[in-house]
Amino acid sequence: MKKRGIGLGCSWYGTGYGNGFPDVSSAFVEIHDDGSATVLTGAVDVGQGSNSIFAQIVAEELGLEAQDICVYSGDTDATPDSGTTAATRQTYNTGNAVLKAVRQAKSSLLVYAAREFSCPTSEGIELKEGYIGVKGDPSRRVPLADLVFQARLRGERFISAESSTARSTPVDPETGQGAPYWPYSFGCQSAEVEVDTETGVVQVLKVVAVHDVGKALNPTQVEGQIAGGVTQGIGYALLEELELNEGKIKNPAFSSYLIPTALDVPNIEAFFVEDAESTGPFGAKGLGEPAMLPTVAAIINAIDDAVGVRITSIPATPEKILKALAEKNGEVKKH
Amino acid sequence: MKTSVVGSRVTREDAWGKVFGQTKFPADVNLPGQLYAVVIRSPHPHAKVLSINCDYALEMAGVVAVLSAKDVPHNAHGVLFRDQPVLAEYVRMVGDPVAVVGAETEEIAREAAKRVQVEYQVLPTVFDPEEAMKPDVLPLHPSLRPTNVLYHMPIRRGSMEEGWAKADVVIEKEYNTQHVDHAFLQPEAVLAHLDERGHLVVQTATQYAHYDRGEIAHALGLRFSQVQVKTLAVGGAFGGREDISLQVIAALMAWKTLRPVKMENTREESFYSHSKRHPMRMQYKTGATKDGKLVAMEAKIVGDSGAYASWSINVLRKAAVHATGPYVIPNVSIDSYAVFTNNPFTGAMRGFGAAQTVLAYESQMDLLAKEIGISPLEIRLRNIFKVGSTTATGQVLTSSVPLDQCLAKITPYLQRGGESE
Repeated sequence: MKKRGIGLGCSWYGTGYGNGFPDVSSAFVEIHDDGSATVLTGAVDVGQGSNSIFAQIVAEELGLEAQDICVYSGDTDATPDSGTTAATRQTYNTGNAVLKAVRQAKSSLLVYAAREFSCPTSEGIELKEGYIGVKGDPSRRVPLADLVFQARLRGERFISAESSTARSTPVDPETGQGAPYWPYSFGCQSAEVEVDTETGVVQVLKVVAVHDVGKALNPTQVEGQIAGGVTQGIGYALLEELELNEGKIKNPAFSSYLIPTALDVPNIEAFFVEDAESTGPFGAKGLGEPAMLPTVAAIINAIDDAVGVRITSIPATPEKILKALAEKNGEVKKH
Repeated sequence: MKTSVVGSRVTREDAWGKVFGQTKFPADVNLPGQLYAVVIRSPHPHAKVLSINCDYALEMAGVVAVLSAKDVPHNAHGVLFRDQPVLAEYVRMVGDPVAVVGAETEEIAREAAKRVQVEYQVLPTVFDPEEAMKPDVLPLHPSLRPTNVLYHMPIRRGSMEEGWAKADVVIEKEYNTQHVDHAFLQPEAVLAHLDERGHLVVQTATQYAHYDRGEIAHALGLRFSQVQVKTLAVGGAFGGREDISLQVIAALMAWKTLRPVKMENTREESFYSHSKRHPMRMQYKTGATKDGKLVAMEAKIVGDSGAYASWSINVLRKAAVHATGPYVIPNVSIDSYAVFTNNPFTGAMRGFGAAQTVLAYESQMDLLAKEIGISPLEIRLRNIFKVGSTTATGQVLTSSVPLDQCLAKITPYLQRGGESE
């Protein structure tokens, strides 16, 4: 018989290296004579999309489009150290470094422009749609390219280097008391599963994921992280296990070490909640790791909801499900 | 704050190359005159290398060099401690690299690798972390720790006596998680060469080019300014590209032979050359009042660090800090341990210790809810962190704690579905 159940899982995650470990990112920014810009950072884009995030941050600050920004990363001869692409830290930490760097270059640009527009304070200058000009007077603006080019003729350049360090302190080694991570990221997911009581096979039919991201800098990438995280969580809950015999891996191949295929991935509905984190770039927090955390709990709780067995050892293989069902039925018969 | 580009669905610049197959991963780049290098790995989980006979390999036409521990100027790397050899004289896990062959083609290199004869003295092994913790078991890293207990993190908050006295319902259970591979689609690959400046240039896929540069420079006795690590497209990482895999070995071969050196793992080699997710045994005891308020929690968490430390200290710390789940529990006692064994080494993987404890604390929540007779949603709503809540480490959450908003959004999806044949 096939039985369905729904389970809920919540999770939290302290982002950053934590425990007082120096968590520093750096970035260089240069605004070019044609009004485009380059950002250099050590932060490696491992496929999660950090380069796009940095382009968006720089573009936002300079009143440009993301495609006006060149992001070059992960080359030790050209880019400053920005720490590991790990610990859910690149959007938050390197994002902050990039934001500080572009704001530094921008501030000297605004000061220069204020002089050009006879404005006593750079507060009166704005960057918008590729133009730089007087706030509130659309008739007084010039293309950013013209101003930056003119500035070069007078020996002024708009380049910057900045670093950002995350907040973290070591905990007391005897009591574990302290503030090891900041910020924390939260989330919850529900899974609907169908358990075949004859074969023990669990099919995940649907996952709904709601994650706290502070501010979604790129909603498409948020959805991508969630889809990947849920898929990895399904593998963790149901399929993946390195089999060892005296330290030797018995299944070092994808024919025997099973990861989810397209057919194992259910309908995933991804939502995010925006409750700005004041220390994050535009209020953002990272999502890389949190996206996979609640899945395992949602699935294990859904299995219990479906067939009334509590799996305490993952992956929840068909063998474990059948054994648990047999034990449960045995108990029922004894009474 | 009103934004226009931030918050929009900008298309990733790398999307086009990946869709059209133009993206260059490290396996896709080559240089004229490059050698291919292949690693010889230990079949034993714990052993001393007594001798390495390269004669039969070096006899083969096309074999240029066979390197081992004696050829590495500073034979160590590692993220927290440099406890991992570049090429091992002392083996702590199956798959530890003991030698590397450089040859004109990959076929010759693989054939020659089979002809390298390594003589081992096999040593006693331990694979169960709780067994390995015992003081009389041979320590795997005596210079780091006198026993195999690499790390213990206690968390103590409130009074357990008071907590259990208030508990109307107590659930006690053990949870176990498994070794997991990152299973990134692109196996490790490196191209290392000396450029016209005399600098060592290493092209690879990594999570941290600057760390790789430091480890290569350290192992070979070079300055940072003489080593360039350039990251090509990364085909998935998930924590599995934080430790060094082939980078130092390829750089060493290029440095010794003055030839460009290409290395590319097979899938089987890949399984042996990066870390794994920590398996954890988690013994949980959680107490709540009859109206569903959590009052006490005790947990013992033992994580298998495997043969090397990698990030195990940080992983087991993260497990401990997150062990309560996102819930206020006033009385908490947690002990988390990282233990060396002769299993494959474990390290960073997406979730980093906080992924294992979710199984335990969220199972406990459902079991408590059932016992008390309230819904899984209700028990969570009664205990979740909010702005101003204090965690088990005494940290006050000062802003951006919107788990209540997340749960509000998911509530309509928690309706039970029907059964079907």
